[in-house]
Amino acid sequence: MADLVIEGLTKRFGGVTAVEDVNLHVADGEFVTLLGPSGCGKSTTLAAVAGLDRADGGRIQVGGTVYFDAARGIYRPPEARSCGLVFQSYALWPHMTVADNVAFPLSLRKVPAAERRRRIEEVLALVEMERYAGRYPHELSGGQQQRVALARTLVYQPAILLLDEPLSNLDAKLRDRARAWLGELRTRLRLTTIYVTHDQIEALALSDRIVVMNGGRIAQIGAPQDIYERPADPFVADFIGTTNFLPARVVTSAPEGGRALLELADGQRMEVQADRAATAGSRVTLAYRPEQMRIADGATDGGAVLKTRITSRAYVGGLWQVGLDLAGAPLRLETRQPPGGEELHLWLPEAGGILFRGGADVAA
Amino acid sequence: MDAALRQVEAAPAPPPAFPREVPIQYGAALLVLVLVAAPLLPVLLQSLLDGALYDDEYTLTLANFARLARTSGFGQVLLNTVILAGLTTIVAQGLGTIAAILFGRTDMPFARTLGELFLWPLYLSALVLSFGWYAVYGPSGYLTLLWPSVLGDAPWNLYSLGGMAAIAGVSQAPLAYIYCLSSATLTDPSLEEAARVSGAGTGRTLWRITLPLMMPAIAYSAVLNFTIGLELLSVPLIFGDPAGITVLTTFLFNNGISSPRPDHGLVATAAALMLAVVCFLVWLQNRMLGNTRRFITLGGKATRPRPFRLGMLRWPIFALALLYILAAVIAPIGMLVLRAFTSFLSPMIPLSEVLTVSNFVTIFDYPVYSRAVWNSFVVSLVGGALATALIGLIAVIVHRSEFRFRNALHYLALFPRAVPGVVAGVGFFYAFALLPGLGVLRNSIWILVIAFTMRFIPTGIGAVAPMLLQVSPDLDRAARVQGADWWTTSRRIVLPLMRPALVGCFTVLFISFFKEYSTAIFLFAPGSEVIGTALLQLWVQGEVGLVAALAAIQVAVIAVCVAAVRGLFGVKLHG
Ligand SMILES: Nc1ncnc2c1ncn2[C@@H]1O[C@H](COP(=O)(O)OP(=O)(O)OP(=O)(O)O)[C@@H](O)[C@H]1O
Ligand SMILES: [Mg+2]
Repeated sequence: MADLVIEGLTKRFGGVTAVEDVNLHVADGEFVTLLGPSGCGKSTTLAAVAGLDRADGGRIQVGGTVYFDAARGIYRPPEARSCGLVFQSYALWPHMTVADNVAFPLSLRKVPAAERRRRIEEVLALVEMERYAGRYPHELSGGQQQRVALARTLVYQPAILLLDEPLSNLDAKLRDRARAWLGELRTRLRLTTIYVTHDQIEALALSDRIVVMNGGRIAQIGAPQDIYERPADPFVADFIGTTNFLPARVVTSAPEGGRALLELADGQRMEVQADRAATAGSRVTLAYRPEQMRIADGATDGGAVLKTRITSRAYVGGLWQVGLDLAGAPLRLETRQPPGGEELHLWLPEAGGILFRGGADVAA
Repeated sequence: MDAALRQVEAAPAPPPAFPREVPIQYGAALLVLVLVAAPLLPVLLQSLLDGALYDDEYTLTLANFARLARTSGFGQVLLNTVILAGLTTIVAQGLGTIAAILFGRTDMPFARTLGELFLWPLYLSALVLSFGWYAVYGPSGYLTLLWPSVLGDAPWNLYSLGGMAAIAGVSQAPLAYIYCLSSATLTDPSLEEAARVSGAGTGRTLWRITLPLMMPAIAYSAVLNFTIGLELLSVPLIFGDPAGITVLTTFLFNNGISSPRPDHGLVATAAALMLAVVCFLVWLQNRMLGNTRRFITLGGKATRPRPFRLGMLRWPIFALALLYILAAVIAPIGMLVLRAFTSFLSPMIPLSEVLTVSNFVTIFDYPVYSRAVWNSFVVSLVGGALATALIGLIAVIVHRSEFRFRNALHYLALFPRAVPGVVAGVGFFYAFALLPGLGVLRNSIWILVIAFTMRFIPTGIGAVAPMLLQVSPDLDRAARVQGADWWTTSRRIVLPLMRPALVGCFTVLFISFFKEYSTAIFLFAPGSEVIGTALLQLWVQGEVGLVAALAAIQVAVIAVCVAAVRGLFGVKLHG
């Protein structure tokens, strides 16, 4: 095992820059997730680490070994690195049995036959697939294939483990089970891992740290709770969890942590605790999670009550999703009781909302 | 257990300074370059020299071109060539298009069976088909002799441009058929159904919708057939030469091989001219193929369009189609086989009196002929296997490596499509005459293996590449990440996955090598005859019975191969 250092990684495809200036240090034994929308460069980053694509700029180092250094012209082909990569498609070789698939990397390393057998058994037991050693990949379910793919990668003890959306081919139920199983395996093995996904629940549940990517760049790096509660920008806030954005103008300035008075487009005013310094006259955007907002019920314990218009109602099983219009901004509220009438009084907490500088379009 | 997994594996070796894919990839590319350049360079060079290439003294000159232009009768040769190729194309396209509609798109009875039979000339060589036609429609052919007793003088004459175009057209119609069929059955059936719903009848829908949709396929296969018509040697050699009708290929053959004092400058110049024209036509095919593909794959779902109903005409049209298959395919091949088992074949003599196996006995008694059969097997089996190995390697390099010159290699490997068989024959003849140290090869069958391999690399690539492109690149990338270098990955992952395609490739090459003659007649020497060259030699000697016997052997072997491939592997041998 080893740590992974990525510095200034850049990769272009023709005119398209798929990854730009990515910097990341994954500590020994750390589990880091790359999270981002489709096409943001997650797989490209992974392929650059594994050596499948030659990057255009930057440096990649695992343990003490330089895998890639554009400045010094160093490039190790994939077979000379010590990465384990599990593909989204699993890429099990269809002409080999499960055991042969797992044996392949060992035979490349000239592991003696007895030792090879022992390790195949061990790793298949680890992924709970020992009964399927003689089967061919097409005789396995998606979840079983995924386990074999993982076993084939673990069996040669790579320095780092790279997983490219390993759960995305599974149906929802199986996915939940596989995620729990993967989480368990992670705590047992403590491998240095980069995990790629665009599923925020996977990311939040499994990771030591999350790297949110957007358009080939890193938008934010942090622990799951950090990312969720203190997103660096509206993109991150929006991508992790549903978020309601409320554009406003600052009426009285406040330092970081102070109280600022804001005015909405329709003239309603509210006071919030600013998690970033706010200057009078500037435009800001407030972000709230749906679970932070509720229908005002008289007691206004330290929050703001605002008048909104109801635009839609939908029953989503146990809960009602209510679409609201607050001074032109669309909000989504979840509640047990369907509200009646056209209008609704909304309660927003004084602290906990996140203040971003800039207009509403930043969140779009 | 976890502890065992956590013990650190020895770090992988640092990248070798000289990865082993380098010699393999460069070696393969160099081999293909030599194979393709070997016949072309001598031809092009010789066309610019005033003396023979292997003489010591010569100067560069353009005089050969002027001399060729002044050669008396050369204008007529060019004209004949173009007329023959043109007529052949018209016949082939007409037959192929009608067959594609009838067998592919209507409710004609036994359409599938007839369609299979229609393809048969594709598997045989035009040479064998020519002998078959001779046996039926030649001056002393079975039907020619039978005809006058009923209807007066037979109205056909194979020894004419029209007669030759008929034979060549029948032998090339399957190509037009295949291309039209893939577009006729795969184009979006809703286009036709829309026309019918709006009230168009069968004929109108055919004429206004189906046929126009087939146009790109017809046009592409027309260029293809015209090119093959230009390159055709067998039919003009058998029927044109005796009648004094010379085309470019027979011009090359007569002046380069048959003549006691070959005029190398003239031969090479004519070959270079032919090469240039065919190069242009292949370029044209490539340009058109983009469009054809678009049409063929359009709506390529398995939804088979509703067949056109022929109604009352169903059986009459079937009878006509059957008559064609009987007259053009079954009768010639059947008569050829029958001729092989008789001492003499004529409607005037009862069959029972002439039945014999003496033709086959003669073939196996004379070492020259049995050796030709044996050589054909060796060339096809061993040569086909070697060529398949090379083609598999080329395909993996071109489609599955980071080899710097892989695009150039791809282009180079497909280039022999533009080299006519006779030009390749002339070219390899020069190449082996020129290079010292190759004398041993020159009189062996290995020169044929080399020349055939060069000729059929594109055919093999065509059989292998589609399957290779279907193998997910993740499969080899997975092996690379796990520590296998490119060559190990190719050997243990990619090539095993391609096994069915390689088997198909080998069979196609076996059949192609087995029936090839146009390159071989420039290259064989006593001891290295193959069936194709022996056929031509026997024909010149007038040994019709032995020709029929040899041809029957060739037909039988190819039939077994085709049946085996279709039955065992379900591999299509075309398209
Ligand atoms: N071989 C390629 N050629 C050209 N462009 C490419 C290639 N591979 C990736 N790209 C582009 O690079 C960008 C990043 O692609 P990448 O595969 O890394 O996205 P991703 O984050 O893995 O997305 P997904 O979640 O859909 O897998 C995309 O815009 C993609 O179109
Ligand atoms: Mg991806």
